[in-house]
Amino acid sequence: MRIEVGFAQAPGIIMLILGTIALVASTISTSTILAFIGLGLAFWGAILLYIRPEEYTKKVLLEATLSPSLTTLNQMIQEFAYKGDVTYLPPKYFADPETTKIYISKHKDTSLPTPEQVQKYENQPVARTPRGMLLTPPGIQLSKLLEKSLGTSFIRTDLKNLQQNLPKLFIENLEIAENLEIRAEDDMTKSTTIHAKITKPFYADTFKEAEEPSQLTGSIGGPICSAIAIAITKATGKPVRITDTKSSEDGNTIEASYEIIEE
Amino acid sequence: MSFPLTFWDISLWLAITAIVLLITSELISPYYGKTNLLINKKRLRNVALTVSTLFLITVAIRIATIIISP
Repeated sequence: MRIEVGFAQAPGIIMLILGTIALVASTISTSTILAFIGLGLAFWGAILLYIRPEEYTKKVLLEATLSPSLTTLNQMIQEFAYKGDVTYLPPKYFADPETTKIYISKHKDTSLPTPEQVQKYENQPVARTPRGMLLTPPGIQLSKLLEKSLGTSFIRTDLKNLQQNLPKLFIENLEIAENLEIRAEDDMTKSTTIHAKITKPFYADTFKEAEEPSQLTGSIGGPICSAIAIAITKATGKPVRITDTKSSEDGNTIEASYEIIEE
Repeated sequence: MSFPLTFWDISLWLAITAIVLLITSELISPYYGKTNLLINKKRLRNVALTVSTLFLITVAIRIATIIISP
């Protein structure tokens, strides 16, 4: 059996072997100094092997593969000429309780379809009707990853819980961004608005590239803004619209506003 | 032929290692913007906490020894 040792693992293994030799030698010679050296080397060697990174992909590679799919989605929406409101529909509109999709109406200010109407087209990846179209959001996989990291579905949380947990998931667990601030503005007369400020997001360059004034970067949002919209719509159980997205000049800060629609 | 380190030597070593690991773990936390360091920070934090707990156990043993001994 041949064991392959990677370049990154080599220092850890060497330290572990040297540490073990020093520990054995310290036992034979009864040397305290050698024992401390051995203990330190063996311990740090084991630590180096244990804390080695999970599998990573180069950022440029990720951007190169992600950018075309976002552009294609954008071109497809423009081609179909659906220019109405973009709404993230909550799972109650679908037969599958984990599904969330985007509904783009044909014209502005039209009412949302009923769950029965939506369920007819639920299983189609791009469902087009004369009134509007259903699309899978660009942040669906990211939202599933966030749910996996959280250990529960966003359906089983509420807005307050989301405000507490989402920054932790973004910063600590998945390291998607350096900071995430979520602020809810509850206007009793109108609907609830949620403001999210994402600092140094991982997708900053991708977001900048696809940043021509389009429906994608605006109402649908990039993968991160879309994932937050999915989390909000699942947690509240209400349709959500991205009303505003702003990216700073250098792309290091993205500010998005979400409106929870009262039905 | 016996292992030259005593229980208290190990306790001292655990204390120093725990401090180093806890400080490192805190300094490379993503909350301070260190998102480009490619190591498993969760595992490092767990090791730091484990070593700290082991040191505290040795302290507890020491206190118990002082109380129990006449």
